[in-house]
Amino acid sequence: MILAAESCNIIEEIVCAPSNVNDLFVFNPIFFIGEMGISRTHFLIIFAAIIVVAFLFFGLRKRSIIPSRAQSMVESLVTLVREDIAMNVIGRGGEAYVPYLLSIFLFILVGNLFEVTPLINFPITSRMALPLLLSLITYILFLIAGIKKQGKEYFIHLMWPPGLPFALKPLVGLIEFVSTLVVRPASLAIRLFANLVAGHLMLSLLLVSGYFFIYQNGVWPVPGKIPIGLAWYTFGIAIYGFEIVVSVLQAYIFTLLSAVYIQTSLHPEH
Amino acid sequence: MEEAAATIVVKGYALIGYGAAAIGPGIGIGIIVGNAVQAMARQPEAAGMVRTTMFLGIAFTEALALIGFVLFFLV
Repeated sequence: MILAAESCNIIEEIVCAPSNVNDLFVFNPIFFIGEMGISRTHFLIIFAAIIVVAFLFFGLRKRSIIPSRAQSMVESLVTLVREDIAMNVIGRGGEAYVPYLLSIFLFILVGNLFEVTPLINFPITSRMALPLLLSLITYILFLIAGIKKQGKEYFIHLMWPPGLPFALKPLVGLIEFVSTLVVRPASLAIRLFANLVAGHLMLSLLLVSGYFFIYQNGVWPVPGKIPIGLAWYTFGIAIYGFEIVVSVLQAYIFTLLSAVYIQTSLHPEH
Repeated sequence: MEEAAATIVVKGYALIGYGAAAIGPGIGIGIIVGNAVQAMARQPEAAGMVRTTMFLGIAFTEALALIGFVLFFLV
């Protein structure tokens, strides 16, 4: 975004917009492994996975009854996922899904927190591919859970809840079919993606506009602009704090909704 | 220049549309959180359950606004 703004002629053009939104997000490979170029996003995705594994490994390396600092951190996160999400939402049979829920929770949490990590400042979940992949895994998982539990009945229960009057069957069937099989995975992915993109755009717009009001292409502006720039910058810092909350909350919500979807497959009576 | 101006006008309409689309979810989230706070105040021992359900409701409602946000980029 900074690059796009710097290349534009500020005297002649009114709005410095690039011709295509893709111009804002050019990711050149930073190094190659064979033929495959590894861009910053790829690198950060692997880095996030390594952080999660290292966190769990070093946190639980020396297990003791009186937990060390790292161990109690791991334990509190595991307890959050296990008690608050898996057992509380799924209930009976929720134990089996704790490893999956814990891994997506930690991975999305680290990926989201990259947004507010200094020197990285790029949430990997703001590339549509990653949320889509994660939501498809959840999608397949809850479909398999439903088919395993109920067999073919699952798809019938999915479309028509038992006890539905015959006249309503076509309408309710269509609505339920679309909402379960199409809207669920799409909204799960779009929610995570859009929240992180919105946060990233907001942060970069506010902080960059603070920068440009104060110092523009090597020209110092009229002194009257400096307070405006400082105000934008302050606002950006406030949003920075807000984005930390959003990052954690979105990871929590993704995990919670995954658990809810699995629960609806396992216990259709609710 | 003509084309660029037209693009800006279209983007402006898209922004107005997004603003309109954000009204409903805004009201919805307000109602959800307000009622959740009331429920927690009346029955503090059920706060954990209410909070989980509140986040669920917020997530479902918020999705509408976010779809509008994504559509803005697709225009």
